[in-house]
Amino acid sequence: MQYALLVYSDQSSWEGLDPDEAARQRADSMPRWLAAFDEIARADPDYAARELEAASEAKVVRVVDGERVVTDGPFAETKEQIGGFFLARLTDLDEAIRLAALVPASEYGSLEIRPIVER
Amino acid sequence: VTSALEATFREEWPRAVAILTRVLGDLSLAEDAVQDAFTKALERWPRDGVPRSPAAWILATARNGAIDRLRRDRTFARKAELLARLQEVPDGEDVDVNAIPDERLALLFTCCHPALAVEARIALTLREVGGLATPEIARAFLVPERTLAQRLVRAKRRVRETGIPFRVPPDHLLPERLPDVLRVLYLVFNEGYAATAGDTLVRRDLCAEAIRLAKLLCVLMPDEPEAFGLLALLLLQDSRREARIGADGELVLLADQDRSLWDRTAIEEGRRVLRRAESLRRPGPYQLQAAIAAGHAEGTDPRVIAGVYAALERLDPSPVVTLNRAVAVALAGDVPAGLALLEGIEGLDGYSYLHSARADLLRRLGRSEEAAASYREALARTDNAPERRFLERRLRELGVDGA
Repeated sequence: MQYALLVYSDQSSWEGLDPDEAARQRADSMPRWLAAFDEIARADPDYAARELEAASEAKVVRVVDGERVVTDGPFAETKEQIGGFFLARLTDLDEAIRLAALVPASEYGSLEIRPIVER
Repeated sequence: VTSALEATFREEWPRAVAILTRVLGDLSLAEDAVQDAFTKALERWPRDGVPRSPAAWILATARNGAIDRLRRDRTFARKAELLARLQEVPDGEDVDVNAIPDERLALLFTCCHPALAVEARIALTLREVGGLATPEIARAFLVPERTLAQRLVRAKRRVRETGIPFRVPPDHLLPERLPDVLRVLYLVFNEGYAATAGDTLVRRDLCAEAIRLAKLLCVLMPDEPEAFGLLALLLLQDSRREARIGADGELVLLADQDRSLWDRTAIEEGRRVLRRAESLRRPGPYQLQAAIAAGHAEGTDPRVIAGVYAALERLDPSPVVTLNRAVAVALAGDVPAGLALLEGIEGLDGYSYLHSARADLLRRLGRSEEAAASYREALARTDNAPERRFLERRLRELGVDGA
């Protein structure tokens, strides 16, 4: 089955940091991110992973009464925003749960597992 | 013939559903095929007689039914692959079904997967592993048949769409997953035992079903002490069923129960199963609870029982365990200490037993006014008729104004 692992975290916590500190924290968690990538690649060599720009850079588009309405910022004002995703073909839900827990963001944020609809 | 069919049904339903789920990779397809096979049995056995091996007949008929169904279906994507796999299921009427790998444990773990809501796990387990019909389960849980049917459909869809695996979890996941299975069986039993409402006979069946499933689990996991612990606990609790409700339909507390009404055979069996669990030398919450239940049955020193509760609290802390320990401590003679433990419990305010236990200890300390207030708190939190009758009588006996 194919699964999307959606990575959620509170991005505002990064905003207050000075660039050096942010870089240091990124470097610190990097080995564990790489380990997670490796493990996901072992499960599905054709997996995809993407990091998204900050939710503050988002545009939300709606068509209201035939009129295009574009607003800045994330769709919902929640603390945790989607910051990236993995797309992988995995044996089952247990495997998806195991891999999601390896992603460092599952500790300071959360991973949402969404099976991809197959028709 | 009907009884042969019934016996076959309970035994062979989960076996056939499990084998076909393994082959087809889909619980719904497997269940439909097995359902069709039993419908055919209902038509044919009374006419043609019971086959030599009912189990082989059911499996073969379900297999052939699934093949026919798949052939008729034009849209199925993996048709050829599934047909090929179905051909491998033996279909002779003399096939020894025991020679086919037993997949019932995988079925049980799938039905109890934590990605399903608890009510869905219970319904699915009773349907697929217990072989209970939808109306039976609906009656036992006092929900409309349609609601329960929908619950089952949604649960099966979820199993399919989220990719809940059909397997016994690998060793490293087992300690995490086994408690889910044990809990579902315990909840089934408790629904029958605690009797919040409903038909007594249906309730008794539910307890019997939970015990049957626990026995099956012990057969399937013979090295798992907690499976035996759970079975022992259920047998020992069930042994007191007749004594729990008095002649006037009132709840009778353990200490006041007529011991001649206890089922000695069930107690003996429970103790035997508990010894088997303990021989595996890996204690767990169900074994400790069973040890407590056995202690009650044997008239063990209440201080020893309070000690086992303390061990249980360390192993598996929860407010309910603390509540039980408090009662045990009071029963062992130290009522003020028991009361102090009760006062420290948080997060159980909605639970009538907390208030009735508190009321009972206050009553024993001669603090009638406070006891009366607690009985009223308890009454405000339960609809269970026998329990209400008990609480109302206790409240009257206090002779406090306004009671």
